[in-house]
Amino acid sequence: MEPILSIHGLEKSFGPLKVLKGIDLDVQKGEVVCIIGASGSGKSTLLRCLNLLEEPDGGHIWFGGQDLTDLYADLDGLRQRIGMVFQSFNLFNNKNVLDNCTLAPISVKHIPRAQAEETAVRHLKAVGLEDFIHADSRRLSGGQKQRVAIARALCMEPEIMLFDEPTSALDPEIVGEVLDVMKALAKEGMTMVVVTHEMAFAKEVSDRVVFMDQGVILEQGAPAEVFGNPKEARTREFLSRYLEDKGV
Amino acid sequence: MAMNNILSALCAIPGDAGRWLQGRAAALWRFAAADHPYVFLSGSALSLAAALTYVFSQRYGFFLSRTALVWIALALCGAFCLAALAALASKLRLKRRYRAKSRFCAPAARRAARYGSYVIWAVAALVVADRLHVLCQVVREVMAMDSNPSPFFQAMVYMFYNSRALFLRGLWTTLRLAFFGTIFGFLLAVGLVFLRIQTPTKRDRDHVKFIKILCSRFAALYATVIRGTPMMLQAFIIYYAGFGLFTSHTDLTITEINSVWSFFIAGLTTVSLNSAAYLSEVLRGGVESIDAGQTEAARSLGMSPWMTMMKVVFPQALKNSIPAIGNEMIINIKDSSVLNCIGVVELMYAATSVAGIYYKNLPNYVSAAIIYLIMTCCISALLNKLSARLSLNTYRGVPSSN
Repeated sequence: MEPILSIHGLEKSFGPLKVLKGIDLDVQKGEVVCIIGASGSGKSTLLRCLNLLEEPDGGHIWFGGQDLTDLYADLDGLRQRIGMVFQSFNLFNNKNVLDNCTLAPISVKHIPRAQAEETAVRHLKAVGLEDFIHADSRRLSGGQKQRVAIARALCMEPEIMLFDEPTSALDPEIVGEVLDVMKALAKEGMTMVVVTHEMAFAKEVSDRVVFMDQGVILEQGAPAEVFGNPKEARTREFLSRYLEDKGV
Repeated sequence: MAMNNILSALCAIPGDAGRWLQGRAAALWRFAAADHPYVFLSGSALSLAAALTYVFSQRYGFFLSRTALVWIALALCGAFCLAALAALASKLRLKRRYRAKSRFCAPAARRAARYGSYVIWAVAALVVADRLHVLCQVVREVMAMDSNPSPFFQAMVYMFYNSRALFLRGLWTTLRLAFFGTIFGFLLAVGLVFLRIQTPTKRDRDHVKFIKILCSRFAALYATVIRGTPMMLQAFIIYYAGFGLFTSHTDLTITEINSVWSFFIAGLTTVSLNSAAYLSEVLRGGVESIDAGQTEAARSLGMSPWMTMMKVVFPQALKNSIPAIGNEMIINIKDSSVLNCIGVVELMYAATSVAGIYYKNLPNYVSAAIIYLIMTCCISALLNKLSARLSLNTYRGVPSSN
């Protein structure tokens, strides 16, 4: 089957530092791909290159039949079909929760306000925040903000969702709330690419785990394989330290 | 009984003002009845101030002219100061144990000191009232005079009173210059800041890149030139440039040109263009201080750069910049004084003119200074109230998207 997202030879440097040294990755529709790796391995950079928040220096990204790296690609149009959730939530500070979710559909897709609000309320209910619909976005806790961020991304009805360490800024008690939302989303069949340090989540929910180290994909495969029987020494080293700490 | 009379009088004032006054009076009553440290120190300082005011006054009013009353007041203050000195001696002797052991810190002694301080406050209030009475008398005398008196304060009041029309006209012009100058400057600054923040990206076509570079360089140049030259010089250049344009491109007579391109209009243009440069830098700082995550989130949702700026970034930048814009208005009140050099009849011009009429410089300039001070303080207070109402004074901590 034609992959929904296809990455060929992606390269990215920040000045003299080469962060991505040639990434090849295909993501099928409905697949949940978890990218794991040490800090500095290029996971977040890879994710940010996928919706062109960082301009890659080489390689191609094929999404929906178009090359995102093409200079004349309609980025705004393509980004409407890719949802992104950030580590630091990035909710719009000058808007309340409902307006955060309806701003993009109304101004980009020109959906009428009533319909956009209905969709937003539906998604906010799905993430468990129906009591906070008119709350000021600055007054929420971290977990609530992240769930609003997920609902906001979903309101644009994307084909693929990108998660950049969504639970790294949350305290351990609240991490569960957000992971539950992501699990429900995966169950509904959303294509997801998740950069995470939550190994339990990766093991339980993902269809494929990708281990990155120093700008290349070192190993990838089904979670049982990568966690249970890692082939590369570096993978084993990384996982052993994590599995020790987290008791997975 | 006096307190009850005052309170009932205050209760009679209806509405919010009445409630505010009652609140203030009750708070004052609570403050006066409570126990405070440093009663002796403040009381002594106050009585010393009152005594010095008495000694250095050249004219006495209803209270200070009655020697009997003055002697009584002096005796009371002296007694209090002696008690304070005794307390000081006790403190120096006991040092750290003063609070615990000294007789001056017993509750009865503290109460006595508090009552003593009431007396001192009453004496000080009477001295102040006396001075105000004298002030009013002097002002009334001066207003009835028909020639310029020689003492400084009387001269100041005489010259201000006799040319109040000119001073008020100058005041009104200054306020208009500052207010409208800031507003027009702000509108121009919004345009300038949009030009300034244009950055060419890899994906722009060549002509778009060229236009973006041109816009941002122009805005930067404008800000550099305006911020790098004195406003007085800008006023001259703008006035004469405008005048020259009129003479070379139209055949209006000089009077007709002056009615269109008047000194005031030229001055207003100068203030506006000047404020635009400074405010554009303020707004640019505001825009750049908005967390990059906001822009990233908006772009990730598919919003165009223009939409991101208009709906997410700029509203927040504006809200953050409002205190700085108010500050600019206050600065303009003062800086508009340089416009007197091109003939704008504002407050500085009025002061200089009146000084020229009476051949007395310092009293008029002091009058002008007092008026400028009152203006800036009033507008500062108004702006603080406005920003409190818009809840801009709430503690934000470090701005971020978290």
